[in-house]
Amino acid sequence: MADQPPAITSGASSSLDPEIRQLREKLAEAYRLVALGQLVTGVVHEINNPIGSIVSNNEVSLRALSSLRQKLDAARLAGEAPPQKAIDLVDTLLSLAAVDKIACERISGIVRTLKTFSRVEERDLRLVRAGDLLRDAAKLVDCQYRRRIELQLFVAELPEIECYPQLLSQVLLNLLVNAGQAIEGEGRITVRAAQVIGSEPAAIEISIEDTGKGIAPELRPRIFEAGFTTKPIGVGTGLGLALSRKLIEESHGGRIWFTSEVGRGTTFYIRLPVRQTRPPAT
Amino acid sequence: MSETKAPRILLVDDEEMVLTSIRAYLSLETEYEILAHTQPEDALRRLDEGPIDVVVTDYLMPRVTGLQLLAEAKKKQPEAARVLLTGHADKQSAIQAINDVGLYQYLEKPWDNAQLLLVINGAIERTRLLRGLAEKVEELDAAHGQLKEAQRRLIRAFL
Ligand SMILES: Nc1ncnc2c1ncn2[C@@H]1O[C@H](COP(=O)(O)OP(=O)(O)OP(=O)(O)O)[C@@H](O)[C@H]1O
Ligand SMILES: [Mg+2]
Repeated sequence: MADQPPAITSGASSSLDPEIRQLREKLAEAYRLVALGQLVTGVVHEINNPIGSIVSNNEVSLRALSSLRQKLDAARLAGEAPPQKAIDLVDTLLSLAAVDKIACERISGIVRTLKTFSRVEERDLRLVRAGDLLRDAAKLVDCQYRRRIELQLFVAELPEIECYPQLLSQVLLNLLVNAGQAIEGEGRITVRAAQVIGSEPAAIEISIEDTGKGIAPELRPRIFEAGFTTKPIGVGTGLGLALSRKLIEESHGGRIWFTSEVGRGTTFYIRLPVRQTRPPAT
Repeated sequence: MSETKAPRILLVDDEEMVLTSIRAYLSLETEYEILAHTQPEDALRRLDEGPIDVVVTDYLMPRVTGLQLLAEAKKKQPEAARVLLTGHADKQSAIQAINDVGLYQYLEKPWDNAQLLLVINGAIERTRLLRGLAEKVEELDAAHGQLKEAQRRLIRAFL
């Protein structure tokens, strides 16, 4: 089955009408865009400060440099040592250059992580460090929630896993966004990842724990249903978990489940085999 | 009016990056005294230590929002002009709160230096006017009190 986009293939998909397949593909794509769109607000906010700093610093640097030039020229003409004001300007410019460097690094970092999630063409199995995927997803979600939610990451030494990185990122992103949305006001999201001891074949387990409102017992059987949502229109489409389950179970041969306590929080677990053993379809 | 002292600007943002940039710009363009803080608590303490002309604060900060900070600032120094820096996403809540904290102006991030300076200059002028007015009223009150006292003595002398 590896020759088909795993996002939209189910076990029986090879026999599916191509039109339905195309529709599913569109749906998955639309969902991905919505999820990304929600994050953009947070990202824009994150970029404001570094951009503002750079623009401001650039303006100050240009003015200070020309003023510096004049002062030094005047001093040289008069055969004097450089004036104190000129030395102060140099100090200011140095501190601004240092800020610009940090600001630029931050912007490129955000843009880089954003790229990981919008890469459409990457549909191949690859060996990746799960920790990197987790850190990237966490960074993006952190942009959105950092002022009210503390995000903790505990990633143990992990073996490289064979997976579809973009699809896995999508699952992590959805679980993290769900966790963030479940927390009203301040709270904490804790992400853990470790190799499962004694598992044969080798597997890793990722957990995403939130201190949110929890899931009512009567809703628990329904949350993986496509289209089930308790969120207002514009916030939730109810596709996140349905898609996540598909991506974990069908595309990766893994498992996804959760535990929840109303008023205390929810933890989602993902277990993934380290190697994809299923024979590729011909 | 106490025109003699350089205007003092209290600048608050949880990001050092922003403080450095704005401080550099203002010290290049003006002679203002800039007090910059990443911790709202430290900024509030500054308000107990002497008159501030303008308080400029970021909106979204951990623990305390810019509006909460400005509300505190208003209690401590009502005449000090209050300016809010906001991101695009929180613009709406900022506008809604203009009346609550008696905001002088709000500016959107990423900020524009020239506009920031314009706002700060206007704010300084307003604060100094208010303080000048308060002084005059006090002087008037004192003069009125003296007059009253003189009148009382005069009356007593003739009675
Ligand atoms: N961490 C969580 N805490 C509490 N409830 C949750 C959590 N994760 C999911 N849910 C519940 O499960 C429902 C379905 O989640 P799902 O991710 O499938 O859709 P959604 O988040 O509502 O919308 P979408 O992901 O399409 O934007 C949610 O509406 C919410 O009620
Ligand atoms: Mg969701």
